[in-house]
Amino acid sequence: MSWLKGAVIALVSAAVALAVSQVIRGPVQRQAPDITVLRTADGRPNLNGIWQAVGSAHWNLQDHQARTGPVLELGAILAVPAGLSVVEGNEIPYQPWAAARQKENYENWLSRDPEVKCYLPGLPRATYMPYPFQVLQTGNNDILMAYEYASASRVIKMGKVEPPPVDTWMGQSAGRWEGDTLVVDVTGLNDQTWFDRAGNFHSEAIHLVERFTPVSPDLLDYQVTIEDPKVFTRPWNIRMPLYRRQDEGVQLLEFKCVEFVEEMMYGHLRKKTGNEKPFSAARLRWP
Amino acid sequence: MRALAVAATIAVIALVAAAGQEQTWTPPRTPDGQPDLQGIWTNYTSTPFEVPDKSDTPAFYAGDLDGTGRGTGPGAFLTDSSDRQLTKRRSLVVDPPNGRVPIMEWAEERRNYKLAHIQDDWEHHTPWERCITRGVPGGLFPTGYGAGYQILQSPGYVAIVYEMIHEARIIPLDGRPHLGPSFRLWNGDSRGHWEGNTLVVDITGYNDKGTVATNVATQRVRAIPQSEALHVVERFTRVDENTINYDVVVDDPRVFTSPWKVAMPLNREPDYQLFEYACHEGNHAIPNTLSAGRARDQAARGVR
Repeated sequence: MSWLKGAVIALVSAAVALAVSQVIRGPVQRQAPDITVLRTADGRPNLNGIWQAVGSAHWNLQDHQARTGPVLELGAILAVPAGLSVVEGNEIPYQPWAAARQKENYENWLSRDPEVKCYLPGLPRATYMPYPFQVLQTGNNDILMAYEYASASRVIKMGKVEPPPVDTWMGQSAGRWEGDTLVVDVTGLNDQTWFDRAGNFHSEAIHLVERFTPVSPDLLDYQVTIEDPKVFTRPWNIRMPLYRRQDEGVQLLEFKCVEFVEEMMYGHLRKKTGNEKPFSAARLRWP
Repeated sequence: MRALAVAATIAVIALVAAAGQEQTWTPPRTPDGQPDLQGIWTNYTSTPFEVPDKSDTPAFYAGDLDGTGRGTGPGAFLTDSSDRQLTKRRSLVVDPPNGRVPIMEWAEERRNYKLAHIQDDWEHHTPWERCITRGVPGGLFPTGYGAGYQILQSPGYVAIVYEMIHEARIIPLDGRPHLGPSFRLWNGDSRGHWEGNTLVVDITGYNDKGTVATNVATQRVRAIPQSEALHVVERFTRVDENTINYDVVVDDPRVFTSPWKVAMPLNREPDYQLFEYACHEGNHAIPNTLSAGRARDQAARGVR
């Protein structure tokens, strides 16, 4: 068995060396050598696994410095971490009215962000929320992406699909392979979802082209082109790495957050029994 | 004598048919060698969940408390299964043999209290009306609408995408142990393995906040609580191109006096389109029932 062990070590070392050289050459090379890409039986890149974004794009897609959080009593715990922009060029090309709306959204974050109410996240937001998601790539064609947040999911239909019959929170995803890149065309999204916790938003005219490109067995390059002629002056792009979760026995767990927002949403309508535990008066400050 | 001959003939035909079925159909395999369950499946049926009994109060189970026909479950117009096939049995509950789920009295009483007091607290509604989940196995019990399921398989996993409340249930097949006791989950913790052509899924780790069945079609079992002792074993067997036989044994010694079993088919329906069931996002049922309750309280106190 020791020869096997040696061979495995040699292979792993080679893979690590290659991965390192990739990192040094630039964050993401589309023409990564095949040895760094896991493949399915039919030769497609194998995206199966549990993935997660690690940055703070879920707070704000654009450059943002650290700041106090919304609940005074939580001190550093819910403070907002700093982060570099995932928007190419950092600018989101809002039309003037939309730039004003985004600012208003930011200032009224707690009352307007659909995440506060545990609503479905939409896309691309689901991808880079601070929760893992699992890819199930099947033997025939459909690809499942299941998100831990709010039990959201989407089935990416490969090949030609009919236009979506109705707008929805998660939209309709149609996929195709371009070389080693999974390209997903997302249409049929409604206007209810946001991009982040900074009030960045879109209309129902939004159209996404997502590109998932394997860089190494444990790293995906995620790029999205966002188009929405009702809100933006031109298409714009975001880009970030997605990392494979390496934790032993990792699995998606339940994050059924409806239960966590019922008191907030319906508490004032509950019949009083006299045994209620009083809530402490937390002090909110935002922005 | 004649009856015996007829019975014998039927038995022989049944045996031949069963043997013939087993020999002529082998399920296709996925590239990694699993029996292939993939595709779109539905479970519409007109067969009752339990064998009805004179003591049943179906309107009450449906949440119709004032005889208006308006309950908290979907109305008859939403449970149209007229052109769907009946299963060849008198109820989906096949064990105990009388087709009645052996519910303990306290559990029925608790359910009755909750159904009669849905205007007091959202926790008196089933997790379905709260848009949390239809549960496991409840999510696979027929409901009359939104009952599409897509099964997908990848090496080491089977996933069931439930149309109703957009759940993707991912079942690992790698023999990993159940999660530790700190996890008390709405849908428990699923672990699967193949026994021949049958996918066997063992589920434990439930919380005691859910209910074992949520919808009106489950009649007397609707809104019966589940306890942390709940243990469920499901069996999925694809018996022909268009049919998965789904069997489930429900064992909760704190709620039922004995384990009970449901057997029902899932029917392949490739043209069925799953729609997004965004539930919580437009859930007016909960605030409306609660605000109606508070309005009643005020009226009772003479407040106008």
